[in-house]
Amino acid sequence: MNLTLLTRDEVRLEIDATVGQSALEAAEAAGLYPAAMCRDGQCGQCAAHVVSGTYEMGPHSPAALPPEPGGVLLCQCLPTSDLTVALPYGDAQLPRHSVPVRQAVIETLRPAGAAAMSLVLRLQPDAALGQTADFLPGQYMELRPPGMAISRAYSLANLPNWEGTLEFLIRLVPDGAFSGWLAREAKPGDRLELRGPLGQFTLDEASPRARWLVGGGCGFAPLLSLLRQMAEFQDTTPVRLIYGVNLAEELLPNDIFTPLREALPQLHVTFAVWHGAPGANAVQGSTADILESQLASTGSAADIYVCGPPKMVETVLAAARQAGVPDAQLFCEKL
Amino acid sequence: MFCFQCEQTARQDGQAGCASAKGVCGKDEVTADLQDLLIYQLKGLGELSQRLHQHGTPDQAADSFILYALFTTLTNVNFNRAVFTGLIAEAARLRDKLRATLEAAGEALQGLSAAAHFAPAAELTELLAQANIASVRAGLELVGEDVIGLRALILYGLKGVAAYAHHAEVLGEKREEIYAGIARALDFLAHDPADIPTLLEEALALGRLNLIVMEALDAANTGAFGMPTPTQVRTTPVAGKAILVSGHDLRDLHNILDATKGTGINVYTHGEMLPAHGYPRLHAYPHLAGNYGSAWQNQQQEFADFPGPIVMTSNCLIEPRAAYRNRIFTAGPVGWPGLRHIQHDDYAQVIQAAQAMPGFTQTAAEKTILVGFARETLLGAAETVIEAVKSGAIKHFFLIGGCDGAAPGRNYYTDFADHAPEDTVLLTLGCGKYRFNSHEFGNIGPLPRLLDVGQCNDSYSAIQIASALAGAFGCGVNDLPLTLVVSWFEQKAAAVLLTLLALGLRNVRLGPSLPAFLTPTLLNVLVETFGVQPITNAEADIAAALARAA
Repeated sequence: MNLTLLTRDEVRLEIDATVGQSALEAAEAAGLYPAAMCRDGQCGQCAAHVVSGTYEMGPHSPAALPPEPGGVLLCQCLPTSDLTVALPYGDAQLPRHSVPVRQAVIETLRPAGAAAMSLVLRLQPDAALGQTADFLPGQYMELRPPGMAISRAYSLANLPNWEGTLEFLIRLVPDGAFSGWLAREAKPGDRLELRGPLGQFTLDEASPRARWLVGGGCGFAPLLSLLRQMAEFQDTTPVRLIYGVNLAEELLPNDIFTPLREALPQLHVTFAVWHGAPGANAVQGSTADILESQLASTGSAADIYVCGPPKMVETVLAAARQAGVPDAQLFCEKL
Repeated sequence: MFCFQCEQTARQDGQAGCASAKGVCGKDEVTADLQDLLIYQLKGLGELSQRLHQHGTPDQAADSFILYALFTTLTNVNFNRAVFTGLIAEAARLRDKLRATLEAAGEALQGLSAAAHFAPAAELTELLAQANIASVRAGLELVGEDVIGLRALILYGLKGVAAYAHHAEVLGEKREEIYAGIARALDFLAHDPADIPTLLEEALALGRLNLIVMEALDAANTGAFGMPTPTQVRTTPVAGKAILVSGHDLRDLHNILDATKGTGINVYTHGEMLPAHGYPRLHAYPHLAGNYGSAWQNQQQEFADFPGPIVMTSNCLIEPRAAYRNRIFTAGPVGWPGLRHIQHDDYAQVIQAAQAMPGFTQTAAEKTILVGFARETLLGAAETVIEAVKSGAIKHFFLIGGCDGAAPGRNYYTDFADHAPEDTVLLTLGCGKYRFNSHEFGNIGPLPRLLDVGQCNDSYSAIQIASALAGAFGCGVNDLPLTLVVSWFEQKAAAVLLTLLALGLRNVRLGPSLPAFLTPTLLNVLVETFGVQPITNAEADIAAALARAA
């Protein structure tokens, strides 16, 4: 059978698929590596849309499946005829190499606000990539602690670099397998295994629209990377940040924002505190509340980038759609 | 957006031109519209500059800006809308400055075109709303397709001229006649010319200007780096850290070689940078290790596979894949959003990236190709060549020159080189040569059958060779046993084509497809008046060329 991957920029990639092979397996056998993570129909990373042809879907979580007609998960999509599948990203974003697996050691580990840790890793040299920390701002990595079977995905907060530095903001979850290890056992010098970069939550740089970045808790991490990217490139696109936390003491320290404000004079920042007293620099409310009120006063002409816990992302997207922001202007990443 | 400036332009349902949200080259609608606006402003700026040239007080900053800004709008050069909003603001500022200078000199400012009065909006969305007046097809309903096509031919040729002039300028060749000629051509376009004979004459005038520009670039390149000599270029890697330099700008390559001296990093050329190895003062750097890859259209695979950073110094950039997005740098007029741009010749980040990347881990078995047959070498061998022609050892010369591209029809040029009889000599220039330059063509006496003259701009060298041969044989260039087989892709090739036409060179074979902006009427003029012939198939075209010469 013939499987055609149609990228967002309308490049058609024709590949052979055999019976019983998932669309993801067929693509990988042809040297194309669409975004994918769990490979088990659960995470939704390999979501795509069938344009034509027939298929069967293997076991999957209904929540992970795109709700629109033709929505599929490539890892569970078994073509039963010639099939054309539209990918939600462009040809240049479709990797031609499998996702790298690399080793890193913990360089620093310190609290970031009351509910998170800042984790800085140093990559070990790699045969293909050397010392480079190669990713696109907005992407994430899967981290696996030594001797543990679990791995967790965290967004990168820094910029790609040639020193091999990776910076993460990790929310401390009570009884969390990874964050528990991080809070109790991890120490500088410990080694981790990483798989990445992954994800498509990157800036649409071709868009002429303003950018609104909405982050909840550690969902601020990839937004920080995007803002740092804009700062490095002296990007003059109008940009605003709505950064929300549950409690005022969870807000990240101000020194993170100072260089961004200096490099991006157009940056408009709102800190939102959902519960309790917001403090001097923040306002009371959820990120969705703040977004709703700001959209009401400025209109729906911006691209909106949302990252945070799944419920927060859904609420923010609903508020944006309610205000008339079209789906093409919505970009999201769920933690 | 509407754009039909390059060979790969969309051709669907009889309609030529990229008119969707994104062109075939990857240029999006916003960038395309901003480029149109910038070109519109440059016409107005050129008009004012032209008056300053006439007044004897040209403005060097404005003239340099015009070259650079035109260069950014060539195919596959700059895709960064932020760059274009900046250039649009700068063009307006320079326009005001030139107006003020003219007014201060007591010059009357009557009769200026609308372009010279254009006030660009400050906000991007409002700016885009202004783009209609600047479309390459503006005025179509008034003047018709032929006039629009000829204006486009002149504009695109002018872009090529400006690009070559910029390459020469960065090496210090700043000639008044070039700046004045470019300003004059912009001034001509600013007034929406509609008389076909005048437009044709202007196109040829631009071809003549381009000859001067290519001569200046030749002087700049050979002045800075010496006269090219036949040089074996390694095409396989050697172990060690590595930087790849692509594009045409020899000055950038030189600066990178200088900046990496003693670092242990090897520098490789890519695409149109290959002829750099023939220049003695570039070849002298021992860490100019070789040539990597092939022509521009294969860069997404080749750059992904290269184990070090890449510097793109001029056209031809394609949308970078994620695999190398962080390690490709742009320089000069080139740009892509999110790629790091080299400023003030500071290569520190490139060197840092090269040292962080693994480089080549092994030295491959050595393979080489031969480059460096520029005019002086060939004219130095003129006696041998003339003897070989007189004795019948050389029956014909084919100059297979121009750009490469991804279109399947470009196999024609491979077939042409492979099927040319063994008593013919193949001169080549541009990146189209990658289709056959690793093939074995043998020698005629001491002379290799395949002679690499250089980059596309080294057409100047080829013209000098042809003129010298014509002189030696006491005939006109059109009477030489010489056929030009030109593959075009973008606007530099349009400039070279105008030069060939202006020189009266007939019987140019042009392909792989003909420019979409030329209407059937205009193509007929090229065929009837200038003897331009579309390519058919290689064997038939070789036979026709040999029959004509016989």
